[in-house]
Amino acid sequence: MTSEGISGRDDRIVQRVQAAERAALKWFRIKVALVWIGLVATLVLVLYLADEIDLEWTATWGPLILDGARTTILLTVISIVLAVMLAVLGALGRLSSNPVAYGVASLYVSLVRGTPLLVQISFLYLALPQLGVVIPAFESGVIALSFNYGAYLTEIFRAGIQAVPAGQREAAQALGMHERHVMRRIVLPQAVRIVIPAIGNDFIAMIKDSALVSTIAVQELLWRAERAGRQSLNSLQALLVAALVYWVLTIIFSFFQERLERRMARGDR
Amino acid sequence: MSQRGRLAFLFSTLLVAGACSGQGATTPPTGPASIPPAASDGVPSGSDAAPSNGAASPGADGDDLLAAIQEAGVIRISTDPNYAPQSVIRPDGTYEGFDIDVANEIGERLGVEVQFETPDFDLVQGGGWNGRWDVSVGSVTITEDRKSVLGFTQPYYYTPAQMAATEASGFTTLEELAGATICVGEATTYLDWLEGTLTLGDGSVPVDPPEGAVGTTLPTDANCAEAIAAGRTEFQGFLSSSTTVQQAIDSDVPLVTVGDPVFFEPLAVAVDLSGPSHEALLAELDRIIGEMHADGTLTGFSEEWYDGLDLTKATE
Repeated sequence: MTSEGISGRDDRIVQRVQAAERAALKWFRIKVALVWIGLVATLVLVLYLADEIDLEWTATWGPLILDGARTTILLTVISIVLAVMLAVLGALGRLSSNPVAYGVASLYVSLVRGTPLLVQISFLYLALPQLGVVIPAFESGVIALSFNYGAYLTEIFRAGIQAVPAGQREAAQALGMHERHVMRRIVLPQAVRIVIPAIGNDFIAMIKDSALVSTIAVQELLWRAERAGRQSLNSLQALLVAALVYWVLTIIFSFFQERLERRMARGDR
Repeated sequence: MSQRGRLAFLFSTLLVAGACSGQGATTPPTGPASIPPAASDGVPSGSDAAPSNGAASPGADGDDLLAAIQEAGVIRISTDPNYAPQSVIRPDGTYEGFDIDVANEIGERLGVEVQFETPDFDLVQGGGWNGRWDVSVGSVTITEDRKSVLGFTQPYYYTPAQMAATEASGFTTLEELAGATICVGEATTYLDWLEGTLTLGDGSVPVDPPEGAVGTTLPTDANCAEAIAAGRTEFQGFLSSSTTVQQAIDSDVPLVTVGDPVFFEPLAVAVDLSGPSHEALLAELDRIIGEMHADGTLTGFSEEWYDGLDLTKATE
C-alpha cells in the first residue's frame, strides 16, 4: 500500500515535471518563431522603405526565374542519384583489400575532394573538348556534380558500412552466407539506413552548389535571374527572387529530410 | 527517351568519362535525349536543349555543315542575351533584339528553324565552339586576330565605339580619362583598343586611347552598366558600342558620352574555323546578308531597334 502510494506520487511528480518541460519548450518555440517573423518583417520593411520592392517586376520576371528552379531540381535529383551509385562503388573500393580497387577509389576521392567544384565544371565543359570529348552543358553539370558529391558520399558510405556492428557480419558468415551476400543482404541495407540522413543533407547542399552550373550557360535559377536582372538593371530584385527560391527549396527539402531522419532513427532504440 | 533511359545514358557517359576512354564521342550514342522541362514549352531556349539536335551536328565524317543544317532543318545560332538592344531574354524565356531579328530572318531564308544557344560572348569570339552551335549572329567585330579562328561574312551592320564617363567622375572629354580605369566587357574589341592591340579587319586605324587609361573587365558589357547603376565607383569610364551605351543612358545609368566615337566596328555573322566544313555555309550566309542589305530588311531592323538610325551602311 505504502509503496503504491509513493510510486503513484512519484508518477504524478514525473508527469508534472514533464508537462512543465513541454510547456517551456513550447514557449521557447513560439518566441523563436516571433524573433524570425520580427527579423524577416524588418528586412522586408527596410527594402520597402528603400523603395526596392518591385512587385510589378517580380510578376513579370518571377515566372521565368521560377521556371529555372525546375532545371535546378532536375539537375540536382539526377546528380544525387548518380553520386550515390558512385559512392557505393567508391566505398566498396575504399574497404577492399584489392590494391587496384582501393587505389582507384582512394585516388578518386583524393582528386575530386582536392579540387574546386567550379574547376571541375569548367574542365568538363571547356577543357575536355580539346581531347575530343564534347559533352553538352547540362550533362557536363550533371557529371561534375555527381562526381564531386560522389567523392564526399564515398567517405560517408565507408563510415556507414564500418558502423554496422561486426557481429552482424559474423552471424551471417556463421549461417554460411557467401561473402558477397553478406555485403548485399546484411551489411549494405543497414549501412544505407545509417547514411540516408547524410544523403539528404548533401542533396540540400547540392541544390545550392548547382548554381555554379550557371557559368556554363545551363539556364537554371541563377542564370535566369542574372539575365533578367541585368537587362532591367534591377539585379537587387532578381537576386532577391533567386535567393528566396533557393531558401524556400532548402526549407521544403529540409522538412522532408528531418522526417526521414527521425524515421530512420526509430529502429535504433 | 524515358527518364530511366536518360539516367542510363548519363551513367554510362560517367563511366566512359571516368575511364578516360572516350575519344571523339561528340554526340550521345543513343539518339536524342529528352529536353529538360525548363525548355519544353516550345521555346527554343538554351544549350541544355542541345542534345536534342545531336544527330544534326556533323561528325568527323567530313559532312558539309550547310548540308547537315538543311537536313536537320535546324540551325543552332549563338546569342548572348546580355546585350540590349541586340539580344535580351524576354519574361517568357524567348529572346528579342536586333541580332535576334537578323538571326530569325537568316533562318527563314535558309528555310530552317532557328534554335538559340546562349554561351557568353567571350566563349564565342575565341572560336573552338566544338560543334555546340553552328553560327554566331552576335555582333562580333571583324578583327585581324579573330580572322584566324572565325570565318566572317560581310558586315551586317556597323556600330561606333563610344566612350562614356560616369557622372560621379565629372569628366566630359576623352583627354580627361588619361590614367582612368575604364570598364569593358571580357574579350571585347574595346579592351583590345585600350591595350593597343586592336587591328580592325577592314584596315581602318582607330585613334589612340587616352594616355595611361586602364581597362578593367567584367564578364559582359552589361555588367559594367549594371555595376555603375548599382553605385560602384571603381571605374570612371565605360567603353562599349554606342548602341549599348545609349541603352544604358536611356535606362538612367549615371553616364555621359564623352567625345566622338573612337572607332567604327564592322559587325558580322561568324562560323568556327575549327569546326566542320563551313565554306558552303559561309558563302550562303554571305549571300543572304547581301540580299538583306539590298532589299532593305537590315535597314528596317536597324531603324526599329536603334531609334530610327540606319547603322547598316559603312560609316566614315
